[in-house]
Amino acid sequence: MKHPEKNVIFGLYDDEEILKSAVIKANEDHLRIMDVYTPFAVHGLDPLLDLKESRIHIGGFVYGLTGTLTAFLGMTWIHTRDWPQIYGGKPYWAILSFVPITFELTVLFASIGMVVTFYIINGQGPGVMNPILHPSITDDKFCIAFETGGLENSEVDKLRNFFNNTGASLVETKTI
Amino acid sequence: MNQFIFETRQKTIFGIMMLIGLISLLITFMGDDQWHTRFWSNVLHNSVFFTGIALMALFMIAAKITAWAGWYTVFKRLWESFSLFLIPGFVLMTIIAIGIWAGWHHLYQWADKAVVASDPVLTGKSSFLNKNWYTFGGMIIMGGWIFFALKLRGLSLDQDTNGDTNFTQAHKMRVWAAPTLPFIGFSSAAMIWLWVMSVDAHWYSTLYAWWTSVSLMVSMIALTIIILITLKIRGYFPLVTIEHLHDLGKYLFAFSIFWTYMWFSQFMLIWYGNIPEETIYFNIRLHHYPVIFYINIVCNFAIPFIVLLRNDTKRKYGTLMFISCLLVFTHWINFFLMLKPGILQTAHPDVYNVPGFNIPGFLEIGTFVGFLGLFFYFVFSRLEKASLVPRRDPYLMESASHHT
Repeated sequence: MKHPEKNVIFGLYDDEEILKSAVIKANEDHLRIMDVYTPFAVHGLDPLLDLKESRIHIGGFVYGLTGTLTAFLGMTWIHTRDWPQIYGGKPYWAILSFVPITFELTVLFASIGMVVTFYIINGQGPGVMNPILHPSITDDKFCIAFETGGLENSEVDKLRNFFNNTGASLVETKTI
Repeated sequence: MNQFIFETRQKTIFGIMMLIGLISLLITFMGDDQWHTRFWSNVLHNSVFFTGIALMALFMIAAKITAWAGWYTVFKRLWESFSLFLIPGFVLMTIIAIGIWAGWHHLYQWADKAVVASDPVLTGKSSFLNKNWYTFGGMIIMGGWIFFALKLRGLSLDQDTNGDTNFTQAHKMRVWAAPTLPFIGFSSAAMIWLWVMSVDAHWYSTLYAWWTSVSLMVSMIALTIIILITLKIRGYFPLVTIEHLHDLGKYLFAFSIFWTYMWFSQFMLIWYGNIPEETIYFNIRLHHYPVIFYINIVCNFAIPFIVLLRNDTKRKYGTLMFISCLLVFTHWINFFLMLKPGILQTAHPDVYNVPGFNIPGFLEIGTFVGFLGLFFYFVFSRLEKASLVPRRDPYLMESASHHT
């Protein structure tokens, strides 16, 4: 997927606690944060950024249900209509012996479906290159980014001041 | 509030519960057959259930310490109090063991010398299924459990007053918790075979001990949630947040699924193999106990699965409390279904319609209420003995800021 280009100013922080207090400060100053990038999931950051609960698990439920029905109805059709055979003296429609496969297909459908959904939503996939702001975000630094497209110089200076006041160790601008 | 106060009102309530239990046991004892089978089977059923819950609490503490887990620290005094119920459990199980020697009851077929001598299957099993293993093996194993429970509790209390920054007690706890795990792992299986599975003396299943342990684990987590919520509403445990209850709710969900997994694995293999000496176990239970057989599956699997599947039901007192109360009762019914048919076939072969054996009657439920009162009374009196918050525990801060 091709992203439109963006002008960005970002600051790097050394510690997640400094990052969190900076996010609180930004909320107080009514600055519109574009995104926050961290090397690992920071607890307590979601409510500060006002992020909504992911809806991917609803997808997971639907995929799982699809798997359940596929396996159960498929085996029912095979064992009662298409090719009825007696195994171990059990009836054709031996529900109990369907349970393990039904369970397996439920898990398989749910997991693969959720992974594929996740990749499509995020524009990920084989061969897709995603721009990153700074390599150390994937290592040990925590980043807050603001979009600067369409902002006046005084407003960008305000953002620069914000980074300096909240203890950012590096402030840079970049076009991604 | 760091110090728990066991109020007189609560003592009265638990006292009344115990009184109901005593009266139920007395009435059961009066109108019974010559071996008082109903009375003894009720005593065995509840003793095993609550002793097992205490054991699972000890196992959970040991597992958490060994895994360096910290989140449970704010309510670990509750699990410590649970684990100390092994001491009354020791007394109860020893009384039943003495009953075998004295001939007070006829719960176990293998305890009858004449039957064993004429039965090649039971003769083959007699090196394990005998009075000595039941009594002395049981006493040694339960003694070991109590030893580890007291050791971990003692170190934890010592930390409250003498805790230092070298974390002496925390290190010692790790040393003692590690051997606790394999010891409980192996010995619990042996005790479950002796106490529970051997009521069907001819039948056996390799999965049985895990299945039973998981049943006890679910009951233990459910009782933890019930007591935590009740005490939280009264203002205790301010550090226990909805995050801790959410994790306990996840345990409840996960172990319920695991219980079903075990149940189904056992059932399906026996159904598929279709060997008469194995199918007899489920044959009796399906045809003479259909109501509780299906209650068992629906209430222990379907209801917790549907209710606890969503995120927000694990974060509300109401749903958690409802599902916990239900699960304690239905896992108690699971034990009913494990024990009663086997005991009835031992005492009265080929007889099925006997009050108190088909479905839990008022006297069975009364006995359950009595034992529950005893359990609560014991746990609350242990809670009162120590500060509710383990003050110098190195994991306390981690636990207080726990976030799921």
